[in-house]
Amino acid sequence: MTRSQRVASTHFNKEFRESLSLWQEEVVQLGLVDPVTTEVVRLRCADHHDCYT
Amino acid sequence: MESSTDAFFREVLAGRTPVADQLEKIHGLAWEVADPVLLDICRLRIAMLLGCHSELEVLNSDLDSDKIASLSQWAASGLFSEREKSCLRFTEEFIVDVSQIPDSSAFAVRDHLGEEGFVNFVNALLVIEQRIRLQLVWRKIRNEVSV
Repeated sequence: MTRSQRVASTHFNKEFRESLSLWQEEVVQLGLVDPVTTEVVRLRCADHHDCYT
Repeated sequence: MESSTDAFFREVLAGRTPVADQLEKIHGLAWEVADPVLLDICRLRIAMLLGCHSELEVLNSDLDSDKIASLSQWAASGLFSEREKSCLRFTEEFIVDVSQIPDSSAFAVRDHLGEEGFVNFVNALLVIEQRIRLQLVWRKIRNEVSV
């Protein structure tokens, strides 16, 4: 399936965007899962969500 | 006022305050940046599709009870506007496979909400979906552990 670019920018609500980033940072810093597994999952999720940030 | 779901997350994340605080913050912001009635319709549809009964018992807006009763047949129902239908279609595709949402579904939502509204809606949907999936997993784990 081809996907076009859907929006010119995702930089709209700064507070929401920054809060989402902080939430993700807090989650990956949890020590319950080893760092390599955490990173593999994080990269897989980023790829699946088309997230290049 | 704190809901039972908020209390559940606080309890599960006790001792992990930064994570709990951030989760609470993004959840609050999700309801601020998106139309709460529209988001509530989509939240209930996610809960239906994922089988999250605890979330179905919650109502976060003044959503019409007839609409709630017709939500599983939204596509054929005359109770839902084209704007709501476009968001429900996007929501269902988002839940099934976020990487395979067709352009037509995304552009329909964007056309109804505008670019900023579309981005905010998708981010809000992400928060709602994560919260429901976390609830499902954590409630199951807690039930199994307590048996």
